[in-house]
Amino acid sequence: MTRYIIRRILWGVLLLILVTALMFVLFRILPAGEPARLRAGRNASPRVIAEIRRDLGLNKSLPAQFWIYMKEVFLHFNLGYSYYSSAPVRGLIAERLGATVSLTVGGAIVWLATGLPVGIISALRRGSKLDRASMGAALVLVSAPEYWLGLIALYLLAADIGRLKIFPGADSYVALASDPWKWFTSLILPWLVLAAGSAAIYARLMRSTLTEAMGEDYIRTARAKGLSERRVVLRHGVRAAVNPIMTILALDIGTLIGSAILVEVVFNIHGVGQLAYTAITHADFPIVQGTVLLGALFIVVASIVVDIAYAYLDPRVRYS
Amino acid sequence: MSPIRTFASAVLAGALVLVLAACGSSSNSVSGGSGIKVAKGIQTPLNEKLTGGKRGGTLTVLDHDDFEHIDPGEAYSTLDYEVMDATQRPLYSYKPNTFSNPSPDMAAGPAQISADGKTITIHIRKGVHFSPPVNREVTSADVAYAIERGANPNVANPYFSSYFGSLVGAEKADGGPFPGITTPNRDTIVFHLTKPNAAIVIDALVLPLSAPVPEEFAKPYDAKQPTEYGNYQVATGPYMFKSNAAGKVLGIGYQPGKSATLVRNPNWNPATDSRPAYLDQIDIQIGGDTTVIGRQVLEGSDMAQNDIPAQSIVKLAYEHFRDQLEISPGAGDHYIAVDNKQGPFANVNLRKAFWAALDRTAMDKARGGELVTNVMTHFLFPEIPGFAQAGGLAGPKVDYNDYPEGNMAVAAKYMKLAGYPSGRYTGGKTLQVVGSTGSPEAEDAEIANQTLKNLGFRTKFDLVEVSAMYSKYCGAPTEAIDVCPSVGWAADFGDGQAVLDVPFNGKNIVATDNNNWGLVNNPEINKAMDAAELIVGAKARASAWAQIDRKLVAQAVAIPYDWNKEPYIESKDVAGVGDLWDVGEWDYSYTSLK
Repeated sequence: MTRYIIRRILWGVLLLILVTALMFVLFRILPAGEPARLRAGRNASPRVIAEIRRDLGLNKSLPAQFWIYMKEVFLHFNLGYSYYSSAPVRGLIAERLGATVSLTVGGAIVWLATGLPVGIISALRRGSKLDRASMGAALVLVSAPEYWLGLIALYLLAADIGRLKIFPGADSYVALASDPWKWFTSLILPWLVLAAGSAAIYARLMRSTLTEAMGEDYIRTARAKGLSERRVVLRHGVRAAVNPIMTILALDIGTLIGSAILVEVVFNIHGVGQLAYTAITHADFPIVQGTVLLGALFIVVASIVVDIAYAYLDPRVRYS
Repeated sequence: MSPIRTFASAVLAGALVLVLAACGSSSNSVSGGSGIKVAKGIQTPLNEKLTGGKRGGTLTVLDHDDFEHIDPGEAYSTLDYEVMDATQRPLYSYKPNTFSNPSPDMAAGPAQISADGKTITIHIRKGVHFSPPVNREVTSADVAYAIERGANPNVANPYFSSYFGSLVGAEKADGGPFPGITTPNRDTIVFHLTKPNAAIVIDALVLPLSAPVPEEFAKPYDAKQPTEYGNYQVATGPYMFKSNAAGKVLGIGYQPGKSATLVRNPNWNPATDSRPAYLDQIDIQIGGDTTVIGRQVLEGSDMAQNDIPAQSIVKLAYEHFRDQLEISPGAGDHYIAVDNKQGPFANVNLRKAFWAALDRTAMDKARGGELVTNVMTHFLFPEIPGFAQAGGLAGPKVDYNDYPEGNMAVAAKYMKLAGYPSGRYTGGKTLQVVGSTGSPEAEDAEIANQTLKNLGFRTKFDLVEVSAMYSKYCGAPTEAIDVCPSVGWAADFGDGQAVLDVPFNGKNIVATDNNNWGLVNNPEINKAMDAAELIVGAKARASAWAQIDRKLVAQAVAIPYDWNKEPYIESKDVAGVGDLWDVGEWDYSYTSLK
């Protein structure tokens, strides 16, 4: 098991190096991404651009630049400098990470806490009105884009522009450390919006896998042995049904930054997602590189964690 | 002088599409100073009250976009200018309702020009102090250092070489003193020029680069690449970025991508300034969705939006919150650049045929119609001196300009004159047309492309991201793009040269980041521009540049289609005052709460 984990971590590091190398090449090919031009601004004279190129080391050979870049990223965790924000990328990401973690972890908790129970209940009461209603609602939520859902939520429920004025709206996010209650209330709508689509998918997936699991022989055996229905469902049915969900959960958590972009923009939460969005719209490539790298790191770490979790969830899985 | 992409608001103006086309009709409109029309009941910078505002209160500004720079030596976008205008005092500045005749600001009076036109002497206003922690009185040396640092590669001012390049020694300047700027005493600054173009140098002194910067405070920050003076700055205007005792702004009064806070400058002396500065504080929230921001502003209190609202919000404001909507005329333009140097459009008659055939009203409808555009008929903007002499709204009386909806018969006439007797292009050349993605640029580009097809041209039509369009295609002469339908321009100050020189003077064609997209290089026009540059006196300059504008139309050097009108919104209890010279953005030094 330990060897397996080490091997997975080494593969993860290799993957991150490849992603970093790909971004380095890509952003030097793109016409609008040359750092000297971004720094010099419009109408800058060729002399100024040349001087900035020299100062930034852009007159060195591409392999030399690549080596310096990789060394900075992996040995010093230096992700570069944003000329648009006039600040180091690492600092910009670090000061926004808390908001994104708050949003995405809370969102994941909400979608698991709603999606899985709804799926379980639907699987156990197939064909009932509750099942049909919850699966119908799930279909609607799966079809609703997060951006649109966010706007609807604000127009209906936000305290400033909403018709019902229940929850704090856009611009209301505060950090957990500064005011825990405000932090919690300001994130209720964003959590619900972020979780809606995934909760619906998880509910449908859980219903499907649990329905299949509950028809298996070992469930019949468990019942024949006189186990309580609760124990049969939770210890034998759900435990087997949850494996495919763990797989999708790893990918979902890894790609949460992507989902967070739209929610953060709509609710004006200053997280990594909104940082990435702004960077993309202004061709601020050092930030784009930094956020892509962060996203890749999320995916790699989540995949490793889930692979390890498999071993504990499913006794049939053993790594060597 | 800047391509219109430089103005975030102007780019965002592209978001206004057909949904607005029905808004605004000439039957219920009032005229601005240039004759340009703004729908009745809507504010414009031309009719907003500059005096009598209520003192006190905090204005909350919701902006989708962040500033590009908050250092006066680097700032070069409309959003940047709004905070620069509130915190810094350049030598001269415009009142909100003008884009000509700037008033002395940090200067004590008008600039004096020597008889040979090569020396400019300006006396500095006394009694102006820097904000904490510098606190001392401003001297001419501070203005000199501010302009000198524009040549420092760490500051990389985008217009230093364009407007101050004629100063003696400017070509070798690197941020330190050079012979072109001297300060004979504490209150006097003298500019020495290599050629008698004093007028344009004085015009450029309205830009934030001429706002004083204390060398002893800024120099350590200017030594860094890039300069960090913006993050540790001092102010001379009525407001300053909130800062700590060391003058640090970053993380305190400005959090990139998040927020900015302007508070009153305790060292500002109203006796030295004509601005009323009613507000106590301005809180700027950055980011978010433009439709959400728009509703927050329209339905909320004490708020304003200082970038362009979403299309649905402009429509909502026009229909239900009309007195909370401001439209600013004369902000900039959009036109089609055609390659004057090579290919089919080197032929002037083909350019005229394209102009005649183009349905400019359809293109403007794609931008939102009459509420936010005017059909462009020549190249000077409304509100720029010389506009009326150049033809006003109707433009010069030439047949290819007479039909805003396009006229294929007139187009056929010019096709025949160009050597195509059938009235359609029969040459073998396939035109390369490169426009910008996004709405309405893409729709406008489609209309232009279809017009070319109607004239018989075969085209290779590409839409690319706006910055790539400028840097890789339309701004790269080696690419030889035949038609660039998505280009535009906005002026740095109210002078014909700021509008016409860079995009149409052959001497400004450069190998990279070229802004003369049509490679216009007409010796007669070049000569007229070089002569007009040296003219002193507002009237004479206006007249000279108006004549140049007429020559540009006579040569059909490009195909104009849109003079922008920019919309802005405010809450019901805000008495906003917009800056005509800054495409209508709210001026924090004149805006008040009701």
